[in-house]
Amino acid sequence: MNPAVRCDEEHALLRTEARRWLDERFPIARVRALAESDSGEDAADWQELAALGWLGLCVPEKHGGAGLGAVHLAVLLEETGRRLLPCPLLSSTLAALVLVQSGSEEQRARWLPPLVSGESRFALATEPRHVWGAALADRLVARVGEDFAVLDARATGVEPEVVLDRTRRAGRLGRVSAGPGEKLPASAGEALARLTPWACLALAAEMAGGADALLTLTSAYTATREQFGKPIGSFQAVKHPLVNVLIGVEGLRSLVYAAATALDAGDPDAETLARMAKAKACDVYVFAASRAVQLHGGFGFTLDCDAHLYLKRAQTTRPTFGDAMHQRRWLAEKLLGPAP
Amino acid sequence: MIGAVDEHEALRAELREWIRSNHPGDPGWKLPQSALEVAEDRQFDWLRDWQRRLYDAGWVGAEWPSEFGGGGRPRGTQRVIDQELARGRAPFLLNLVGLSWAGPVILRYGTESQKKRLIRPLLRCDEIWCQGFSEPGAGSDLASLRTRATRAGADWAIEGHKVWTTLGRYADWCILLARTDDAGAKHAGISYFLAPMKLPGVEVQPLVKMTGEGGFNQVIWSGARIPGDSLLGREGQGWEIAMATLSFERGASEGSAGGQGGGAEQVAALVRLLRGLERDGGAVLSDPVVRDRLSAFWIDETALRANAARARVPALVSDRPEALPLMSKLASSEQGQALSDFACELLGGDAGLWIGDPHVPANAEWQRSYLNSFAMTIAGGTSEILRNILGERALGLPKTR
Repeated sequence: MNPAVRCDEEHALLRTEARRWLDERFPIARVRALAESDSGEDAADWQELAALGWLGLCVPEKHGGAGLGAVHLAVLLEETGRRLLPCPLLSSTLAALVLVQSGSEEQRARWLPPLVSGESRFALATEPRHVWGAALADRLVARVGEDFAVLDARATGVEPEVVLDRTRRAGRLGRVSAGPGEKLPASAGEALARLTPWACLALAAEMAGGADALLTLTSAYTATREQFGKPIGSFQAVKHPLVNVLIGVEGLRSLVYAAATALDAGDPDAETLARMAKAKACDVYVFAASRAVQLHGGFGFTLDCDAHLYLKRAQTTRPTFGDAMHQRRWLAEKLLGPAP
Repeated sequence: MIGAVDEHEALRAELREWIRSNHPGDPGWKLPQSALEVAEDRQFDWLRDWQRRLYDAGWVGAEWPSEFGGGGRPRGTQRVIDQELARGRAPFLLNLVGLSWAGPVILRYGTESQKKRLIRPLLRCDEIWCQGFSEPGAGSDLASLRTRATRAGADWAIEGHKVWTTLGRYADWCILLARTDDAGAKHAGISYFLAPMKLPGVEVQPLVKMTGEGGFNQVIWSGARIPGDSLLGREGQGWEIAMATLSFERGASEGSAGGQGGGAEQVAALVRLLRGLERDGGAVLSDPVVRDRLSAFWIDETALRANAARARVPALVSDRPEALPLMSKLASSEQGQALSDFACELLGGDAGLWIGDPHVPANAEWQRSYLNSFAMTIAGGTSEILRNILGERALGLPKTR
């Protein structure tokens, strides 16, 4: 494979804009304060995301969205991952993608405009547990047996889960059943097959941003923290593992943008690249986070150090849409043919 | 993969067709795996003829200026050519040091007459180049080198001892670092020479690699007189040009005249080897652990290729512009080493056979490949030195020394 990578001025502009806004709006102290709060978020933030047009980034313009593609999505989510955005933007984005890809024309026209405007909050539920953003959602795009359906969230008996990563809240659903009018025309299998490459890309992009932020955080700390009269980052025992993180992060970012470019081009290898990106993201993010805790020393083990926020995010994002082992099993079939 | 987003389709098609009609096939005896292991005259002659044919067809130095013998084609052309040559499993290009590091620095720092004299024969493999950087006492600490160049009338007289000299036995020219001044900082007194090799006072002694192969040499300079115009750049500018050279050697700078499509499709090559092999009473490729490992290698190989593509997109490297160029050799050499080690592990007891045994798999290609892989993790800056450089330049960590 000779993957192509595209990213132009317009994408770079989105990055600059997103980074500036997120830096201002979500300094780490505010992320921590929201993590300590009951609901985990501030409703005003959701309205801001809507106003920025980010809720409808990949929704066609005729349904009120920005009509942009996978590279834009990767750019945005890399930045939100960097800041541990404490809003269920990812869940809403994936729910929107299911509607775009697998909804009927009537369902798209009915549900996408309020999703994009923030008037109605959506979350994706591919299983009844660990549903990101479920507690505050108005609607769920949920898997119901062999179907997907748009459900009234309140009718599903959502209960918040007690979660490790308090910057990303999740819930479990009670009763899940769908009336005929609520079901999407595509089967769950078809809808998931369309969604999976995009979901892998989206998750990998967010994870790449988080891993990259850890690299910056840990480099800055080890460049200034002194022991034996020298900054510890001057010691090879500290420097070399950080470079191993760097090699992982750089490779991950390349796979993310190769996958996004392929998705936008309709390339038949897009799913392979997206799953490669997700596999790499799982390994790299957890590795980056573990090195961050370790290289911050005793401070790294405390609640005061930011490293654990990312470590928990990395661990809880890993299984979503398949961990590295799951992706590698799929990729092995692609490379070697079916498993016996 | 390239399909919808490749503007080089026509070039690729033309070259694929050319390779189909011109691939020299298997010579019937052992070819070296890279320019680093060329030790026999028949290997040398065969590979020289191949590079000449490629050059004459326009596939070498495609982007280099046409006034000096290059093809004058747009940037990006050579990369596509190298990819296609690798994909078509064409033999490697013999004049590695010339094409990929001497040539590019001559184009950057050389005088008009140096370029006119040296570039075309380098591209056509009419003159072979080697590199005189490392010394017995100056490896990772290159600036402590002790080879000396002193003015001797209109000439320079060279005295010193250089090691790990790939192609030294065949070389007509050497990019040579020598001390021209002892005063001041050790980096400041170094000069860079384009030194002829076929001279009295230049003795090339072969070194034997752990594979038993040659191709590696040490060169003793005992007062050899090289012409006064052999200097590249200014006297004392040697360290700067040496760093530029290493940047080409590490793949951190683009500008090679060809032969850099390597590391290509190694996973696919390993899969071909493994088809039909058994392990623990079943097909190797049915073993779930093997499948998982192969997948991981495939991901890493693809990531390297994606790195190369992303490195050309300014908007995606602005946060750490030095990272991708500086990690290119480090990542690819370590991956190649891990993959060939894995191949040997899967060959089981047969990995203990060597060239000459009637049952040796693939003429010990993977065993050689693993042993030879250490050349790549050591040459051109060891992995340890490169991690220091990356930590300092890409992550902003304080210097280790």
